[in-house]
Amino acid sequence: MNLVQQLINGLILGHAYALIAIGWTVLLGVARLVNFGHGQMYMIGAFMAWWATAPLGLPYPVAVLVAVAAGALLGLLVQAVMLRLTLEQNLVSIMIVTLGFGHVLRGAASLAFGGTPQVLETPPSLIEFELAGAWITAQDLLIVAAAILVFALLRGVVERGRLGRTARMVAEDPKLAQLAGIDVTRVYLAVFAFEGAAVALAAALVAPRTPILTSIGFEEVIVTFVVVVLGGIGSVAGSYLAGVGLGLFTALFGGFVSPAYTTAASFAVLTAVLVLRPGGLAAGRAVR
Amino acid sequence: MSDVVLEARDLVVAYGGNLALDLPHLALRPGELVGVVGANGAGKSTLVNALLGWSRGTPRISGSVRLAGEEIGALPTHERVRRGLLLVPEGGPVFGRLTVAENLAAAEAAAGRRGYTEAEVFDLFPRLRERLHHAGAALSGGERQMLAIARSLRLGPRALLLDEPSIGLAPRLVSTVLRTVRRLVDAGLPVLLVEQNVRAAIEVVDRLVLLERGRILAEGPVAAMRDDPRIIEAYLGDTVA
Ligand SMILES: Nc1ncnc2c1ncn2[C@@H]1O[C@H](COP(=O)(O)OP(=O)(O)OP(=O)(O)O)[C@@H](O)[C@H]1O
Ligand SMILES: [Mg+2]
Repeated sequence: MNLVQQLINGLILGHAYALIAIGWTVLLGVARLVNFGHGQMYMIGAFMAWWATAPLGLPYPVAVLVAVAAGALLGLLVQAVMLRLTLEQNLVSIMIVTLGFGHVLRGAASLAFGGTPQVLETPPSLIEFELAGAWITAQDLLIVAAAILVFALLRGVVERGRLGRTARMVAEDPKLAQLAGIDVTRVYLAVFAFEGAAVALAAALVAPRTPILTSIGFEEVIVTFVVVVLGGIGSVAGSYLAGVGLGLFTALFGGFVSPAYTTAASFAVLTAVLVLRPGGLAAGRAVR
Repeated sequence: MSDVVLEARDLVVAYGGNLALDLPHLALRPGELVGVVGANGAGKSTLVNALLGWSRGTPRISGSVRLAGEEIGALPTHERVRRGLLLVPEGGPVFGRLTVAENLAAAEAAAGRRGYTEAEVFDLFPRLRERLHHAGAALSGGERQMLAIARSLRLGPRALLLDEPSIGLAPRLVSTVLRTVRRLVDAGLPVLLVEQNVRAAIEVVDRLVLLERGRILAEGPVAAMRDDPRIIEAYLGDTVA
């Protein structure tokens, strides 16, 4: 494959990465929370979309909505369970609880969906066409469009307006926010619902590219981690750039050096960036 | 009952096994400025925080708090705020990453409550107008106190609790801040004022509550309290005017 083809692949992959990571970006930026069950929530989102289309026979757009709704509910559930830890900003316990939650999800998914790999067949993945020598599908374009839309909306909300201001107040000092009349609990629940919905949306759009197994999700959580840290924790624009950058890097490195070492190389880049710019690419803008 | 804006009964606060506050009764009446004084660790902050069910730590708080006749002692902090009980906590904290303008805009009075307008707030604290586009973190200590009070006023207070608004301020600014507080009270807003500087507090308050180790040691009109030997001995020394 030539350079242009790899760049196109990289752009698509990068938008997929950014979309997968956006929930965590908001989680960290607004609530200073982490969710190590993120990958398994991606897996559940993919299975829900598959389940709604194949066994239930619902149209793909409805399946996307089913997955998003399930994701939002899962997000609400996990946050409701660990609300006390969140209010105390007990990060270590939250890591462990969300990690455990991910394993519970995986176990539940194995029981419900078994060990057979499934394929999420969607009408847009069947529409193929050639762009500058690269074969891409309408599904790929959908991923890019969805990522741009979600990031643009989010940036508009976070940078301007009342909702974003409330979010920034809670991020900076949740206790003080209570004294300003803000229902911090509701903000935390909303943020986790968004995280669940966003990762499920990403799954419903990105999962058609690969077989769906209950064991997927590990790569997604690693990608998310790299994107969020590289972008400057909590920075919406930074995450978008980092996602696209990581996608391009992965495609180029995989295409011209070796696909086997892309993850290792990504971490090498991440380490180098963090050493040179400790705040990430969007240093200064980030909500720490 | 209707002549009491804020009333606490049997307010008890404990950190772990340590009793930090045991308050049988405290009332704040319309048009009244009540000063709360006491040594470091006496429980002054614990008292005003507990009235909102608020703390940076994790205390156990029990007891009754009534605001304008309504029992609010079981409500979460933000609900008490929305009903008009406002607290400027110790240090006068503001949102450092928000600008002064955003700090003020973020404070919208809850439905049914009328807050001070921005113009009214700038009238009280002209300095804030000049700092409008500065980040909260870039303000001086005095400016932060002003902004924190201004934010509370915007939220439409029925009663205002101030935890040491004059701490760390230059002597001249202390009297400016306290006189502004007096102006608020005279305009109809009852205030509970925690103040280390007893000498300055006596000049403006109507009543004084003396706390010691979480209990009320003495309480009364300022005219009587300024002659109270316990106050004189501990706070005014022998140079009392
Ligand atoms: N977060 C906390 N955890 C444990 N104990 C606390 C906490 N906050 C206060 N205390 C204890 O409660 C008691 C009262 O403290 P408080 O802060 O109310 O005193 P204060 O009168 O406001 O003192 P200062 O004048 O220094 O502000 C003290 O013994 C203090 O050690
Ligand atoms: Mg104190």
